[in-house]
Parts: sequence; structure tokens; C-alpha cells
Amino acid sequence: MKKVLFATKFRELAFDALESLLDLKAAGLKEVILTYIIPREEVAFVPYGGYMKDEEERLREQARIRFEDWQEALSKAGVDSKIRIEVGEPVPKLVRIAEKEKVNLIVAGRKKRTALEKVYVGSHTLDLLRRSTAIPVLISKYMVYCDMEGQCVRRVNEHPFQRPLFATDWSKPSQNALEFITTLKGAVDKVDVAHIIGVKISKSLDKSELNRIEKESKVRLDKYCATLKKAGIKAEPHLTAGRTASEIIRLSRGLNSTMIVLGTTGKDRVKEFFVGSVSHRIAEASELPTLLVP
Amino acid sequence: MTRGKFSLLFLLACLTVLPAVAFASEAGHGHEGINLGEVLPLYSAIPFAGMLLSIALMPLFLPKFWHHHFGKVSAFWAVLVAIPMVIAYTGTALYEFVHVIVADYVPFIILLWALFTVSGGILLRGSLRGTPVVNTVMLIIGTALASWMGTTGAAMLMIRPFLRANNYRKNRSFMVVFFIFLVANIGGALTPLGDPPLFLGFLHGVPFTWTFNLLPEMLVVAAIVLCIYFVLDTYMYKKEGITAPVDEGVKEPFGLDGALNFLFLAGIIGAVLMSGLVDWGSINMFGIHRSVADLARDGILIVMGALSLVTTSRKVREDNDFTWAPILEVAYLFAGIFVSMVPCLLILKAGTKGALAFLIEAVKEPAHYFWAAGILSSFLDNAPTYLTFFSTALGSYYPGMPEAQAVPKLIAENAIYLKAISCGAVFMGANTYIGNAPNFMVRSIAEEAGTPMPSFFGYMVKYSIPVLCTTFVVITYIFFI
Repeated sequence: MKKVLFATKFRELAFDALESLLDLKAAGLKEVILTYIIPREEVAFVPYGGYMKDEEERLREQARIRFEDWQEALSKAGVDSKIRIEVGEPVPKLVRIAEKEKVNLIVAGRKKRTALEKVYVGSHTLDLLRRSTAIPVLISKYMVYCDMEGQCVRRVNEHPFQRPLFATDWSKPSQNALEFITTLKGAVDKVDVAHIIGVKISKSLDKSELNRIEKESKVRLDKYCATLKKAGIKAEPHLTAGRTASEIIRLSRGLNSTMIVLGTTGKDRVKEFFVGSVSHRIAEASELPTLLVP
Repeated sequence: MTRGKFSLLFLLACLTVLPAVAFASEAGHGHEGINLGEVLPLYSAIPFAGMLLSIALMPLFLPKFWHHHFGKVSAFWAVLVAIPMVIAYTGTALYEFVHVIVADYVPFIILLWALFTVSGGILLRGSLRGTPVVNTVMLIIGTALASWMGTTGAAMLMIRPFLRANNYRKNRSFMVVFFIFLVANIGGALTPLGDPPLFLGFLHGVPFTWTFNLLPEMLVVAAIVLCIYFVLDTYMYKKEGITAPVDEGVKEPFGLDGALNFLFLAGIIGAVLMSGLVDWGSINMFGIHRSVADLARDGILIVMGALSLVTTSRKVREDNDFTWAPILEVAYLFAGIFVSMVPCLLILKAGTKGALAFLIEAVKEPAHYFWAAGILSSFLDNAPTYLTFFSTALGSYYPGMPEAQAVPKLIAENAIYLKAISCGAVFMGANTYIGNAPNFMVRSIAEEAGTPMPSFFGYMVKYSIPVLCTTFVVITYIFFI
């Protein structure tokens, strides 16, 4: 874990979210690429007017001044940084910069959850999750308001890497996620490794078959934990059953997790519409930072 | 409620109610069956003028406000004309507004959307070297394409390769200006697909193939402008003294991505042609009779656009920097333009019986139409300007006659007027940045790519007046006197 791309729109608490990444220093973090993409529509295609060069300059300068302030804090913490400010379509630009800079992780912020639309992830971030097919994406939700037992509670995710809940479905992306977690050694205290036997499976199988799957899952979970322990990270297995997304969220609350880690298959919009994406649903609904590994 | 908000609401109420009262007092009672064009006062055209002046002045003087609020400005002028007219003339006025939306605006936007979507899926790759010959050839190709994929489509397809080819040149501004002249305007004169004004003419009964008659005018203008360009570029090229691109490092091979979109483009051309050739009767939509062939055309255009979206890889569109922003802007603005121009068009169609009789009487000769339509197209968008003078010509020669009968008569007996209006609207849209929608898109892309562009007045003084206006004087003598 050497290089992280931190994408921001300079929303409130963006700097705090950046500071929370400094825990990764213990995992070897060397450099942060501070990135701001000026959406093309903000400055270009003024109807019958053309391009607002002055406005672009103003936005660039504004971003540069803010970033330079952040750079000082990073420098004090012993982490190098680089500023990238560009104009364009935010998501493709971010992915292109991340690939060019060869970063290990992209970090994007959450959206402000509204009463009408109770999700923490905006359309841009969802698109980023779909588009980043090679680099893991962390949605950092530094401070969120969430519903707990009927009450609106404020939650601050100050140390997201401390105790992640890693939910696996045994897929290739899950394997990748496991490998990725091993690179976080030093930043992670303990990992809870979980597998959920989904409703669809449990419904369609008889008891003996279900027992066989249960045993097999336990063995696999132990193997995952062994891999983590071998890498020097404490790990604990958890096997449960139910609706996958809600069960993962329930488990994360019960275990006091600080982050949810999932593998993601990177479904496009069409597939996602018909099949649905568990990882995206969790990213939208959980109050915890969510790390999706393709 | 804050004092500011109250003041704003009060102002809006006054602006809406006062004209309504004024209209109503002039309309009297029992307005079913009246010819609105004959009774509408001249001031009913103020919102249209306001709309066009907003387009002309706000990007210059209030660019930031305009960029973020142009939709509200457009809606303001539309509401300002629609509410008072509907209050004063009830069903008769409502019919006119529904008619302009259903029969003009919707097909117009569908065509622009389809052309924009399909052409945005075609990507020209390759590292060309922008010499005077290569640049002139690129301009010729763009000019030839413009009539078949729309000036917007051709400009969007060609501008990035054109800029890339010339990124090593010191003086690039003049190249982009000539690109605007030829690809974004002059080249679109040959078919109703080429330039929005011609499509509006097509919607109002001008046959698809009639616009081929503008070929001599287009060839003369394009030839003169291209010659001037070649001489200027050769001079600049020699003066710059750069013989090879500074960075020969990464050379992209020449190629065309998204070529399937040419098939969809052919589908669009076929659909528009078909709608002008077949007669499958008509159906009633919201009280408006619409030809089944026109509806089929619009349906096919939507299917072509959708197929382009589904079949073109996302990477092609991204590498093209494709964005919906320009077409959305055009859609918002033209909604306001189409609604606010209703009174103006009705008055002009009424001919000498309308409040704009003085204009009808002043514009008589083909050269008058060419220059009047042209000069207004330079500063206002050329699509509504075309329709305004189209209506003026119909009002002058066939006052009160239904459009379906008047247009074929105009073409058969006085085609030179329609040619003058078409040429004026299409060619002179190039005179300023605000004359035609693709002008500002090209300017925006060029500036984003680091090519400094002349100011609004610099564009006119340095380029359009010496190059274009002199060319237009020549073609006035050749074709319109």
C-alpha cells in the first residue's frame, strides 16, 4: 500500500476524511495524489458563449490553495503528496489518472444523505465503482447520520482500517480483496471474515445439502483466516445466513466493525438493473466506509 | 418571505398580468375563428426579442449568470408570452402554442438529438500533421460532411482531429475561425439535415431535395473562403518556420472508431427523406394534425439514436469527450425560442394586415431577403430568423393562404426568395459566435484545448467582416440581383 488517490469535491469534512487515511502509513503509505476534477459543464459549453477560461482559472486556483494547505498536513505526517487538478468528465478522468499514477487505492467521498433518498453514495461514486475494474475503491464516510433503533445517530468513522468486516462470496474478486487486505498490515488490528449463505441457496436446498455447504463454508473461512494470520493480521471467522446485504450490515453493527470490505464484479448499469449488485447496495446503505475490490 | 423574494414575485406578477390585461383589452370578446396574426399588437413580439437579445448579450456580459440560469431566462420569456396570450385569446392561442411545440419543436429537437448522438459515436483517430494542404483537405471533408450529418455533427467529429493536427503550430486561432465558417455553417446548406433553419423549412413543407438547388451558391462561397484560408495558412506556415511537429514521440495510427454509426446516420437521412416522400395520412395529437410519416420519422430517429448509444463503446464516446450538455442547452433554449416566437410568426404570416406590415413592405427584393435574414442570423440564432423571413415571404406573396398551399406556390413562382432566405440564414450564421449553435461548441472545445480564440468583436473585425461579408457581397451580385 504505497500510493492512494484521494478524490475530492471539497465537501465538508473532506480534510478529516483525508486525515483518516493517515492510518495507512503504518501499512506503508508513501504518497497521496490529491485530485480534483472540475466538471466540464462548470466551465465549458456556455450556451452561445463558449468557454469560461477565467472561471476555470479561478476554480483551479481555489483548489490549489486548499490542496497546498492539505499538503502541509500530509508532509508533517511524513507522507508525500501530489496535486492533480483537471477539467473533464469526473469519473473517467479519475480512473485514467489512477491508472496513469499506478495507485493502489482510490478514495472517494460520500454524498450527503437526504431524507428522501436514504443512501450514502451518489451517482458519480456508483459510476466510479462500476468503472474501476482494476483498482480498489474506498468510499470514505467520515461522518454520517444513520438510523439506529429508530433514532438518528451521528457516527464518526475516524479509523476505518482498524477492524474491517470482510464479507466473501468465494469469488475471484473476493480472493483479490483478501490479498488486498494483507497489504493493509499494520493499519488493521483485526479482520472479521464473514460468509453469508444467501436466502436463494438455503431455500432451494434440503437440510443435508445445507449442512454440507455449512461445513464447506467453515473450512473455507478458516482458510481465509489462516491466510490473514500468515500475513500477520488477526482474523476471526463468522458464518451466517439470510439476505446477503442486510445480513452483512447487521453483522457489521454487531461486531463494531469500522469498515466493510467486499469483492465486486463490476456489473455495468444494465446488468446491475436486472441482477442487482450486493456490493453496491451495501456501499449505498451502510453507514461504514466501504472498500470494494474488483 | 424576504423582501427580495416578494419583490421578485411582484415583478413577475406584473410582467405576466399587465400584458394579459393589455392583450385582453385589445382582443375583446369572442375570439374563436379570428386570425391572431391580424389582431396581435407589435409589442407581443417583445418577449421574442428579449429571448434573442438574452442569447446575444448575456453570454457576453453576464457569462456566469447565463451559464447557470439560461434555462430560467428561457422559461421566463416563454411564460411572459404564453400566459397573457392564453388568458386573452384562450383556445385559439393555446392551439398555436401546442402546434409550435408538437409540430415544430419536438421534431426539431429529436433530429438534433439523433444527429448529435450518432455523430458523437464516431471518433477519428490519428496523428495528422497540420500543413496548409492537410488542413484545407480536412476543411473540405468537414464542409462536405456537414450537409449529411449536420453542422453540429460534422464540427464535433472534425474539430478535435483538426486541433490535434495543428497543436504544434503557433497561430491556430484563424484555423478554428475558418473551421467555424466552413464546417459549422456554410457546409450545411445542401440538405435539411445540414442546418437547423433548413430542417424547419422542411417541417413547413419545403421538399428535402429542393435544398440541393443551393449547391451553386454554396460552392462559390466555400471556394472563395477555402482559397482565402489556403493562402493565409500557407503564409502563416512559412512565417512560423516550423517544419516538423515538435514532439514526434507518440504517433497514433489513423483510424475510425464507431464506424457503425454511419449506418445509423444513413437511417436518419433515410427517415427524413421518407417523411417528405410518403403520405400515410394524419392523426390528431392534442388537437394538432400530424402526419403519420412525420411521426414514423421521429420514431426512427429516436431508434437510430438509441441504437447508437447501445452499440457504441463507452470508450469511443469518452475519447470524443462526448457530453450531453450542449444538446440539453439547445433543448432548453429552443423551448423558449419556439414559444416566444409564436406572436411574431403569426403577425408576419398575416402579411400587410399584421402589425409588421412595414417590414413586409420594406423587404422586397431577393437581395433584401438575403441580407436581412443574414444580418439577423448573425446576431440571433439562425433557425428562428429563417422561420421569421420564411413567414415574411409567405405573408408578402400569399397573405392569408394556408401554409400547405402557399409553400409549393412560393417554390414554384418565387423560389429565389426562398434561396435568398436559406443562404442568408445558413451562411451568415457564421458571422458571429452567436449566429449558430455549433459556433460556440467549437469555440469552447478549441479554448479548452489551449487554442486562444478571438473575442466576440475580434472575430468579427479580423475575420468575418473582411472574409465573409466581402464574399457575401460577391454572391449577392452573382445570384440575388
